[in-house]
Amino acid sequence: MQQELPAKVSESLLRLVDEQRFLAHFVVDENQILVSMGGQPEHYGLADLSTGVPVADQLPFVEGLLPLFETPFLIRSLEMPSGRIADVHMFADDEVVWIVLMDMTAEHDEAQLVQQKAYDMTLLSEREARLIAQLETANTELTLAHRELAESRDALLVTHNRLRQELLEAEKYVRSCLPPPIAEPFVLDWLFVPTTELGGDSFGYHWLDDEHFALYLLDVCGHGVGAALLSVAANQTLRSEALPQTDFHNPEAVLNAMNRVYQMELHNDMYFTIWYGVYHAPTRQMKYASAGHPPPILVCGPREARGEVQLLNAKGPILGMLPVTRYVAQTFVIPRESRLFVFSDGTCEIGRPDGSMLDQQGFEEILSRPVAAGASELERLLACVREMHGEETLEDDFSIMKLEF
Amino acid sequence: MLQKKICLLGAFGVGKTSLTQRFVSSIFSDKYLTTVGVKIDKKAVDVGATPVSLVIWDIAGEDEVSAVRTSYLRGAAGYLLIVDVTRAQTLEVARSIQQRVATEIGDIPFLCLLNKIDVENWDIAEARFEELQQAGWTVERTSAKTGAGVEEAFTELARRIVG
Repeated sequence: MQQELPAKVSESLLRLVDEQRFLAHFVVDENQILVSMGGQPEHYGLADLSTGVPVADQLPFVEGLLPLFETPFLIRSLEMPSGRIADVHMFADDEVVWIVLMDMTAEHDEAQLVQQKAYDMTLLSEREARLIAQLETANTELTLAHRELAESRDALLVTHNRLRQELLEAEKYVRSCLPPPIAEPFVLDWLFVPTTELGGDSFGYHWLDDEHFALYLLDVCGHGVGAALLSVAANQTLRSEALPQTDFHNPEAVLNAMNRVYQMELHNDMYFTIWYGVYHAPTRQMKYASAGHPPPILVCGPREARGEVQLLNAKGPILGMLPVTRYVAQTFVIPRESRLFVFSDGTCEIGRPDGSMLDQQGFEEILSRPVAAGASELERLLACVREMHGEETLEDDFSIMKLEF
Repeated sequence: MLQKKICLLGAFGVGKTSLTQRFVSSIFSDKYLTTVGVKIDKKAVDVGATPVSLVIWDIAGEDEVSAVRTSYLRGAAGYLLIVDVTRAQTLEVARSIQQRVATEIGDIPFLCLLNKIDVENWDIAEARFEELQQAGWTVERTSAKTGAGVEEAFTELARRIVG
């Protein structure tokens, strides 16, 4: 059973609360008029309140709360005009309402400190969670993109392999169009190393009759299947002597006719260089013409000694550019114990790793070197340019024919 | 002068105090200072030709352990529900508060304010706002930092209260 506190204790406690909580009280009548006030209203900045006027005009927090719908009614930690924080206790007593203010500033400040830390931490962890979610989303998108990239790469690899295979097939076909080396009545050997992209080089030779031997080498501009197709087509034209009303014994007539047939606007803007020669065996006379092609190199003298170099020069623009071009043939008598090299520019224009190029003199020097018995000077030349180039794969077709008289 | 009590409600940290300070004193501080208890301010607005004194209750935000005391809304003529567009969960808190107020206080005018629109990284999809509007809510966009939409929001609520 709860006993009432002795009067002395109650009074002591009341004094203590009054001292510590700066009690202030206001009395409001049934018409919501402030009728009296007491305690320490000045502590809350409310000393200037007037009695006899509506309380809500002077204490805004009362607005809408009167008459009290529940009693007692407590507003915790309300900031007062003085800046102090008060708990506002409101309770009805007969026909009046009591409003009692108790200073809770210390408790408020302590609670605010704790709450501030808690909210700061919560906001921080929320931000962290959002960042993690964003990172996870980005990671998922990245993984997806990576997977798509891998799939694209695989598909690309399949396409690449198929194209590579087709290029190999095309190269095989180009190679199959080349005639085999011959040994009689003179030695004719050749080397053909197409670039990985398939180039536009091709060559051929055949007897026009018992005495005349035609040989030719052409180089279509650019690389790839298009260049290879044109090269093979032009080669086939020469091999099958398929130029109407053209004397294939006459190099200038052949190039003039080829120039008419292979004008670049009819062939996807492609053009080519070509060297065409006809060797008359009984007289050892070589009649030839050139359309922008590197001049063949004649190396005179025995194989085992350094040879003397001569160029089979001829002037003539690239074939297929101008329909009015007229080519002029040259003649040259081939001495005994000599070797004639006909080649494309990819064979002699070799880039070194330092950016410099093999020059004409250097190329001639290599070809003029003595040849050991049984050695292939074409293989030696290829090994030499590969070493000079620094990589196994050359940038252009390496095509060379050698006639040894 | 007509005097009306309005309340600002929402999750903690959505900007209730900042909106009040922007509206009443035209000031803004980037420093976040949590509200414990209640702060009351007054400001008069004109609704047409009628001046209205708004008694603004800035009530401590709701968190996981303490809910908004709906009894504080006794006598309120309207309220503003504040949402922080950079925190999706504050929208859920606003919906929860609105349901409780409607149940315990009744249908009084309110506006939903999407605050912090000056920040770029929104965490709430536009479709969510459209859902709210379809549910009958009036949704306004505000920035206590720039002041965008603040005056308009308080005045609009006053207009709805006065009718």
